[in-house]
Amino acid sequence: MSNFMNYVHFPIYSVMVLFLGAFLIVVLGKSKMLRSLIALLASGCSLACMIALIKPVMLNGEVIAYWMGSRALAGGYAIGIAMEVDALSLFFGLLISTAVFVSCVYSIQYMSHDDNIPQYFTLFLMLAGGVMGLVLSGDIFNMFIMVEILTFAAVALTAFRNKVYGALEAAFKYLVVGCMGSTCILAGVIVLYANAHTLNFAQLSSIIPGMMGNTSVKIAFALLFVGFSTKAFLVPFHPLAADAHGAAPASISVLISGVLTKSGIYGIIRLTYFLFQTMNLGTFRFLLVFVGCVSMFLCVTMALAQHDFKRLLAFHSISQIGYVMTAVGLCTALGFSSGIYHAMNHTLFKGLLFLAAGAVLHETGTTNLDELGGLSRKMPHTTVLFLIGAFSISGIPPFNGFASKWLIYQACYQKAVESGNFAYVVVTVICLVTSVLTLASFVKVSQSVFFGRLPEKYENVKEVPWGMRLAMGMFAVLCVVTGLFPDAVGRYLTHPAATAAFNVSNYIDSMLGAGAASEALGPFVSGAQNVVFVQPGVWSPVSWLLIMCIALLAVTLVAVSSRYDRYKAPEGPADAKHSLFFSGEEAVYSQVGGSDLFWGFKYNWRHYFSFMHDLHSGILNDYALWAAVALALAMLFMLIVL
Amino acid sequence: MMTFNYIASFFLIALGFYTIITKFNLIKTVIGLSIADYGVNLLIISIGYVPGGTAPIFTNGELTPLTYFVDPIPQALTLTSIVIGACVTAMSMSLVMKLYDSYGTLDTREIRRLHG
Repeated sequence: MSNFMNYVHFPIYSVMVLFLGAFLIVVLGKSKMLRSLIALLASGCSLACMIALIKPVMLNGEVIAYWMGSRALAGGYAIGIAMEVDALSLFFGLLISTAVFVSCVYSIQYMSHDDNIPQYFTLFLMLAGGVMGLVLSGDIFNMFIMVEILTFAAVALTAFRNKVYGALEAAFKYLVVGCMGSTCILAGVIVLYANAHTLNFAQLSSIIPGMMGNTSVKIAFALLFVGFSTKAFLVPFHPLAADAHGAAPASISVLISGVLTKSGIYGIIRLTYFLFQTMNLGTFRFLLVFVGCVSMFLCVTMALAQHDFKRLLAFHSISQIGYVMTAVGLCTALGFSSGIYHAMNHTLFKGLLFLAAGAVLHETGTTNLDELGGLSRKMPHTTVLFLIGAFSISGIPPFNGFASKWLIYQACYQKAVESGNFAYVVVTVICLVTSVLTLASFVKVSQSVFFGRLPEKYENVKEVPWGMRLAMGMFAVLCVVTGLFPDAVGRYLTHPAATAAFNVSNYIDSMLGAGAASEALGPFVSGAQNVVFVQPGVWSPVSWLLIMCIALLAVTLVAVSSRYDRYKAPEGPADAKHSLFFSGEEAVYSQVGGSDLFWGFKYNWRHYFSFMHDLHSGILNDYALWAAVALALAMLFMLIVL
Repeated sequence: MMTFNYIASFFLIALGFYTIITKFNLIKTVIGLSIADYGVNLLIISIGYVPGGTAPIFTNGELTPLTYFVDPIPQALTLTSIVIGACVTAMSMSLVMKLYDSYGTLDTREIRRLHG
């Protein structure tokens, strides 16, 4: 019996329990108690399996190569189906199972007003199982199967509340462009199979880098890269994310932003660092950093112009994914570890923000920023939790967004100093500007949802049930903890994962036997056995926290001391200056709408904003055209640079 | 002979994408997805083909080192791919039905409540 509890079986258990749970809910889902219990147990077991693997994989540096049915190598060829868990897979597995568990806790009370709840939980667990299977798989065709499972589940869940404005439309667009991406992945997988005659990831990684001169291998890279970009919703696939998030239930938005996009990022990392091993070429670093910077900046400006709470959060989600891509594309030890650190933080704070948006929707029935206001008096706990998430995403110390963004700035700057390339200085500046715009847009959200005057129709709004607050609290605690102890996060999570990413030979050897990598790759193996993490600057989150507290205290004192001599609007017709200040509001103490903040900035940039607004036309054919153009550009890039 | 198959399969994938991009009718979009999918299936089956090979069906006694047969793995992959293609068609058609119910049209240019 103890044989079954050996930790080498844990990866398959963590995928299996989720699919088993999905099946059991179909059979036994009639009772509310039973289906909640099954969903919680399944996601909890999956999380427990992942946590139990931290010690052997993260700390002892083992790589678990697991053959289904013990069908190991036959004549040097990997015939059987394999799972391979190194520190990188485990890092993403941990993220995913955490987000799935918290989202599951939240859904139990959040979805209680909907019908067809058993189907919801079935699809929920299938989505979770698909993503877990994707990150733990050691077989590229199974990665494709898992991509299809998670795409279907995500599309079905997007359309789950099909009476919601635009839900069906969002689901259909996502299905069409998502399936174009899946078709690209399948075609890429098959072209690789035609060249290497294997589907095993480790074996492909040992064969493909020697064949990069082959045109069909270049085409395969372009196909796979575009396919996984569709899953990560990088530009130009970002409109799909915005549509899907706006329509899906909040607990599913957590999974789409925290889990689905991570599966795309994971795919791109595996592709560039392992399968093709192209990251030592400057042009490929440029490709990733370029895509990352464009996603980062374009989506944050799109977010500034939004009027819907969840749609705004969706654009921010892609903007943060841009940070991750940029940092990963630097291909330095610090860059990679800060990138995946930010990926983790993105899952936590974005999950928290989506759950807060869901709480607002649950109580008021709308997410329109222009209708809401003053909810902090009615929903104090949600407000505090939302503010923790908003501070985290805006990069305010001591929350986790600050820690990872600070590391990303340092990594970009370090790269600029090392390589002497001025472009990386520009990248650092883009990162900083994006962070400022993120803060601006969250000032807008908190002003228009939680502060200001409470509209009369929301007088009877109550705080959300405890289960939903519990789920938000879990994310909030994790946000603070990962922000306060970045050294521990580095030691236990991100540094092992980054070390794994730079040790391709170790990954290949664990699967195919010692010495396989050096035999197959020879000069291609980079001898980065010990990855060194150096920070160029001084960094102490505690002192930043103290500075923030002093500044906050000073601002509070000034605000309190001037409480009794508030500015009174002059009587009579408002002069031009006054109307500018309140942006034309007639009443003196009326709610300053979210859209009215930063009006000057928006006015100066009006041509850009109206151009972007027209570009995101909402017509499916346009989005499909962007996907085809992205594919064509990726192929052209591969054929020209290599 | 296989070159013709490869050209045909990539032509089918391109034709499918062209259909999705240029046709404004939702049902034609779904047809485009299917055509691209058939293109990939043709590609998979062509890659596994070995000129002169027989079907890969043998019992233990018949299998000798000299047996010459086509690669069975792509055939298994094609089956999976066909099943997934059928799922895509079924799911997108059900969404099209629902969309027609609530929008009263199948024109993509009019189904754009979410934009900007």
